[in-house]
Amino acid sequence: MNHTKGGLVIFSANSHPSSREISKRIGERLGVELGKVQVYQEDNRETRVQIQESVRGKDVFIIQTVSKDVNTTIMELLIMVYACRTSCARSITGVVPYFPYSKQCKMRKRGSIVSKLLASMMCKAGLTHLITMDLHQKEIQGFFNIPVDNLRASPFLLQYIQEEIPDYRNAVIVAKSPASARRAQSFAERLRLGIAVIHGEAQDAESDLVDGRHSPPTVKIPLLIPKEKPPITVVGDVGGRIAIIVDDIIDDVDSFVAAAQTLKKHGAYKIFVMATHGILSSDAPKLIEESAIDKVVVTNTIPHEHQKLQCIKIQTVDISLILSEAIRRIYNGESMSYLFRHIGLED
Amino acid sequence: MPNIVLFSGSSHQDLSQKVADRLGLELGKVITKKFSNQETCVEIGESVRGEDVYIVQSGCGEINDNLMELLIMINACKIASSSRVTAVIPCFPYARQDKKDKGFFDIAVDNLYAEPAVLQWIRENIPEWKNSCIVSPDAGGAKRVTSIADRLNVEFALIHKERKKANEVDRMVLVGDVKDRVAILVDDMADTCGTICKAAEKLIDAGAIKVYAILTHGIFSGPAITRINDAPFEAVVVTNTIPQEEKMKSCPKIQIIDIAMILAEAIRRTHNGESVSYLFSHVPL
Repeated sequence: MNHTKGGLVIFSANSHPSSREISKRIGERLGVELGKVQVYQEDNRETRVQIQESVRGKDVFIIQTVSKDVNTTIMELLIMVYACRTSCARSITGVVPYFPYSKQCKMRKRGSIVSKLLASMMCKAGLTHLITMDLHQKEIQGFFNIPVDNLRASPFLLQYIQEEIPDYRNAVIVAKSPASARRAQSFAERLRLGIAVIHGEAQDAESDLVDGRHSPPTVKIPLLIPKEKPPITVVGDVGGRIAIIVDDIIDDVDSFVAAAQTLKKHGAYKIFVMATHGILSSDAPKLIEESAIDKVVVTNTIPHEHQKLQCIKIQTVDISLILSEAIRRIYNGESMSYLFRHIGLED
Repeated sequence: MPNIVLFSGSSHQDLSQKVADRLGLELGKVITKKFSNQETCVEIGESVRGEDVYIVQSGCGEINDNLMELLIMINACKIASSSRVTAVIPCFPYARQDKKDKGFFDIAVDNLYAEPAVLQWIRENIPEWKNSCIVSPDAGGAKRVTSIADRLNVEFALIHKERKKANEVDRMVLVGDVKDRVAILVDDMADTCGTICKAAEKLIDAGAIKVYAILTHGIFSGPAITRINDAPFEAVVVTNTIPQEEKMKSCPKIQIIDIAMILAEAIRRTHNGESVSYLFSHVPL
């Protein structure tokens, strides 16, 4: 690329100070001061964003982490992106480590595909590029008509396993439901370990009930035999081993606690839960504290200081390195493929 | 011929119910809730295929949450093959940040006026209205007050001020005469109420016998209620574009103009393809 660059500006669009932690780290790694901007909520609850430096002709990177108020976070980002666009920024890249509403990406009854709505809104506001991490469904990339870089946290989690779990070679990677089996497999392959899959009742938090919007069929259609759920079983051997449950998001911990219980019963002597995005909402810390889980390891894509105070079992892995590297490469027009080496199809 | 289906967002259920009652309909079944991670979830509970859908959601309270809810509801209805989706937004959020109203949408916009309802309230509730003076708290509202003053055939006045920054007031100068009259302040929004409270004091100093304030949208954030309680108002009248029950408990001066019938009539006329301009100057019975 030959045209002269106007310069790099990094903003954090979060109003909450704890959410700005990761932006500060990224700024430090890149040796760049965060751009001056004021983001706050007025008395009447409207969000106001005031950019206090010029962005004309510059490459703007807006880092936004999801806080407790998801809708406000989204609004802050949209207002900031639009403000940069109307101020003639050269390019606007959103760095949103955890993409909100990614669990609402499929049609449910008469719901809305909110991730598609969000994607349309962001593109319309003027976003020219998106960097995110471990999207819940990779297909969400297709909702955008701008380039999306779906970075992976797995190298960091794998590094944690190898460095912080002394007898990791005696571990088994566990999928708490058949849906996360592919992810478990990709971890296991890279660590040269075996896998186990938990299958059974109480796994269907996200399954859809029969939709009521139909008229009765005019011909007799053979009834589908309803699926029968076997009691909870573990397929694979965890006796006398460390069990490492891997998933992308840890939010409602009931299923994790139940899985840990099962694994303990089947002979696992230590249980780890590793997830990229630690949402840990409502009383998750308390439940984890009381459960058979020994440690919960999450990355800092979502700030969780509050939860760590309530539960000492929660550990954080810092992924600001890969985000700052991605920003650097995009700004310099360099290849991003280095960040995706060794990433398999299942990851 | 599609039917009207009316949904209510969670911002102002009361107003939506009143509108539904005026139209002789039940509110459509919809579940709006938040997951534990605070993400909004919307599920439409009845078929809207081929129907004419209206969604009532006001930009008040937790604005970002209500806005997101509205967007998701509109999206859900479109995906469920509704024939047409119309958003009824009594108080439009973020309106002050832009300072421009029309020309921003690619779709049809009907901006209704509270003026007819305001005129009706004045005639019915202020006995001395024939000897009143309509006052604008700033120069920008001059057009609004002259329109009302002309219809009532009374005088108008305005207050000119120098403002340093938003929500802070500087010197105020009264242009016009309010001596021995009832002064009626008219404005579109009451947020922190700094401006109108200072205006009220100014009007009393200038000889007004009573001061009323009539404001379309009563946002009343921050110190607004305390300021109103301390200010020399006879009454502060707002419409119910924003729910006011809580505020009325702590401030006895607040009174409400119900605009549900204007919204209901607008919905009915839009649905039947009739002209809505009748509502710009008349209050439906």
